[in-house]
Amino acid sequence: MTLQAATYADTPAPPLGLYIHLPWCVRKCPYCDFNSHAQRGALPVDDYVDALLRDLRMAATAVPGRRIESVFIGGGTPSLFPAEAVGRVLAGAADLVGLTADAEITLEANPGTLERARFAGYREHGVNRLSIGVQSFDNDALAALGRIHDAAAAEQAVDAARAAGFEALNLDLMYALPDQDVTGALADLRRAIALRPGHISHYQLTLEPGTAFFARPPALPDPDLAYTMQHECQALLAEHGYRHYEVSAYAAEGRRCRHNLNYWRFGDYLGIGAGAHAKVTDAATGRVHREERVRHPNAFMQRAGTEAALAGRRAVDAGELPLEFMMNALRLNEPIEHRLWEQRTGEPWDTVGPMVAAAADQGLLTDDGTRIAKTARGALFLDDLLALFLPDHA
Amino acid sequence: MKHIRNFSIIAHIDHGKSTLADRFIEHCGTLSSREMAEQVLDSMDLERERGITIKAQSVSLEYKARDGETYLLNFIDTPGHVDFSYEVSRSLYACEGALLVVDASQGVEAQSVANCYTAVDQGLEIVPVLNKVDLPSAEPDRVINQIEEIIGLDGSDALHVSAKTGYGIDDLLEAIVERIPAPQGDPEAPLKALIIDSWFDNYLGVVCLVRVFDGLIRKGDKIRVMSTAREFQVDEVGFFSPKRTPWDKGLSAGRVGFVVAGIKDIDGAPVGDTLTHAAKPTEQPVPGFKKVQPRVFAGVFPVDADDYEAFRDALGKLRLNDAALHYEPEVSQALGFGFRCGFLGMLHMEIVQERLEREYNLNLITTAPTVVHEVTTTSGETIMVDNPAELPPNGQIEEIREPIIHASILVPQEHVGPVIGLCEEKRGTQKNMQFVGNQVSLEYELPLSEVVLDFFDRLKSASRGFASFDYEFRRFQAERLVKLDILINGDRVDALSIIVHRDHAESRGRDVTERLKEIIPRQMFEVAIQAAVGSKIIARSTVKAMRKNVTAKCYGGDITRKRKLLEKQKAGKKRMKQVGKVEVPQEAFLAVLQVDNK
Repeated sequence: MTLQAATYADTPAPPLGLYIHLPWCVRKCPYCDFNSHAQRGALPVDDYVDALLRDLRMAATAVPGRRIESVFIGGGTPSLFPAEAVGRVLAGAADLVGLTADAEITLEANPGTLERARFAGYREHGVNRLSIGVQSFDNDALAALGRIHDAAAAEQAVDAARAAGFEALNLDLMYALPDQDVTGALADLRRAIALRPGHISHYQLTLEPGTAFFARPPALPDPDLAYTMQHECQALLAEHGYRHYEVSAYAAEGRRCRHNLNYWRFGDYLGIGAGAHAKVTDAATGRVHREERVRHPNAFMQRAGTEAALAGRRAVDAGELPLEFMMNALRLNEPIEHRLWEQRTGEPWDTVGPMVAAAADQGLLTDDGTRIAKTARGALFLDDLLALFLPDHA
Repeated sequence: MKHIRNFSIIAHIDHGKSTLADRFIEHCGTLSSREMAEQVLDSMDLERERGITIKAQSVSLEYKARDGETYLLNFIDTPGHVDFSYEVSRSLYACEGALLVVDASQGVEAQSVANCYTAVDQGLEIVPVLNKVDLPSAEPDRVINQIEEIIGLDGSDALHVSAKTGYGIDDLLEAIVERIPAPQGDPEAPLKALIIDSWFDNYLGVVCLVRVFDGLIRKGDKIRVMSTAREFQVDEVGFFSPKRTPWDKGLSAGRVGFVVAGIKDIDGAPVGDTLTHAAKPTEQPVPGFKKVQPRVFAGVFPVDADDYEAFRDALGKLRLNDAALHYEPEVSQALGFGFRCGFLGMLHMEIVQERLEREYNLNLITTAPTVVHEVTTTSGETIMVDNPAELPPNGQIEEIREPIIHASILVPQEHVGPVIGLCEEKRGTQKNMQFVGNQVSLEYELPLSEVVLDFFDRLKSASRGFASFDYEFRRFQAERLVKLDILINGDRVDALSIIVHRDHAESRGRDVTERLKEIIPRQMFEVAIQAAVGSKIIARSTVKAMRKNVTAKCYGGDITRKRKLLEKQKAGKKRMKQVGKVEVPQEAFLAVLQVDNK
């Protein structure tokens, strides 16, 4: 056994999450670059759940003795799946890996009528946090975004979630929408805040390669206007007690998303389902591994439970760790302990020291010897800050 | 000697010269079809890709004519671009005849006209040839009419061929024998041989392509290069079949072939110079020799400073083969260590740049090309300035003179208006205008600096691609010229300085600052771009500060896309140059080139 592995064995394994991908939507939104597929006919619900469980059985072998602290069911539109199906997957997770008693279990839902009717069922089957894809309360903007719900449906969805017993709620909201001005962005946000969700994800609409918007770009607010929107929206959120804790995430006291925090703190996570990504630290060597499942749902269902379901698996090189770690950690507004780097990567702080010093020189972060923290400038120019952690050959 | 025919081909790019040469080689059977790679004569990749010839080459073919006699046909391939007009004139001098090859559907182009005049001036017999007559778009009658009206040749006996299908090639070979005169000369007289071209071969050293006018040159001879009086021992003589074929009997008066004489560098055997015997020299060299002068200059810098040594070696190697390429070290505050390079013209510059990047794998930044200016200082000294950054301060300049060229333009009547407009805008002076059938032949005097700017592209768009263009250097002429400097956040960027006419300084300043504003990406701070003449700011623009640069959505599970994005951004920045704290993309250094054609 190498010295490094011996050292690593002394540190506890990182917290473990589970990401479950349900890849179907009623239709594909023009801005969306996630692995989602328009639904054609009835969903193969049972076959897909069977496949997820086979996949999880294989994935579980990499994390013996560890228990899942958070689950995130994303998509796609997971709320197209009946509650029983979600229940089967969660039961499988408890059975095949094990869930901690207080595990946070989030499901992404759309505000449609059919979806709302399922909320109570999700809650009964163990889901304890709903993330509702509102995006906007402006019906014209929703139409431009290709969304199939309206503002009223979004508000009803929040009511339905509360009625079903969900205390932890997130609303996804976008700004810098086609033809939007600052007043419009603030109005959207006010309606979201009025519903008092514990968590708001507020992110700028960007044009991603491979989307309909990228091919035929709509008229979006210019970067200066987008900046003003962000600035004013942040002030409004702060005014209402939402703490800005990650680039695009705001939470009331005690309502931060534990699953996402685990990503940003470079924790481990299994990823099952079509196109899902996983990061697991090998218990024996301390090396970080990344995995990716095949993207197409049919291919995934055929291959799940075998190595053939993997589209890729690789050990992360030591040289790539600084960027991988910082790309996550520096999204958080909380300070990062040097120790966290050492625990998560098994590498001494010296490996990133010079890069951190360069970033501090540029006024992008501060380092007090035990913790680093982004400066306000570093937060605004995060991409420039992260570029300092790229391996030299890149 | 009466069985020798020396000829070259005058043709516009794409009019089929190389294909025709291939047919000759095939018909005369010097190469088996297996050896017959397409277009054997254009040996450099670049030449083949661009369909142009840079170096003169030759092939000696044995042709059994209809009169039963066997003739030695020496075909001398000539460079096909205005940048190389001196080489063309030397190639033509070596011949008694030339084929004027014209595309039967495209018609006559300015380039061919200029070269044809040179050939006529030198007393060559011109044989007009219409190529591509097999194409449905061919209009032989119209093109013959053009040949007669524009060039003034008798087109009635023009040959009709298709180099592609081989149609008419026999008749053409026959016409070469019948119509082109045999060379004259005295085999007993002292040696007089013209260097048509020379190039560097890794194994042989410098190889000279020569035309012997008098005497005989053989292996073992002691020869003298007349302009330099340097003497060499001949190691080998021979001809190209097109393979290099040594010939121990030597080359006698009238013949064309190669000479290898232990010459180590290309300057030892300048194109156009005369070779003679050291012991018994000829009295008069072949007339018309001149040293080739570069006309267009640009700073060339490695993007990665670590490539400097490799870049210097590559230039040295290219120089071995290219006497027209000049270079000397240059240090730019913005671009670091590089070389100031001198070229014959824009094409020559592009070719050198491409070869450096392609054959030597170098990533280079080239500044906007400039011309050489003749400057008389207040102290009475005359200096040649090939780099705007080195222009003396205004107070020390008595007079600046810029190079003027004589341009010949051929353009269809319907496009003549915009072309005249372009020439006027470029400070041209009309010298002649002649209507020839549907074509108009324009002659203008133009400042060379305006031609290197964007004249070719503008001419093309003004004439929908139908105008053709040729030029030659005339003289230096005094003008009201000033240096236009560009400042980025207060730092003068030497590599962006240009010399412009005083009356154009404001508008060029505005164009350049506006263009730079589009090219320089927004940075974390505001970037001021200013144009200045001396200490006076004449135009300015501002790149507003970027307010933020952060990816809003990062799907926590999948970091690969985000990482690729960052890597791409970093690679993009690596190609930028640092001016003070400002990152400036490479395109910016050419921004001064592309003006007023938005």
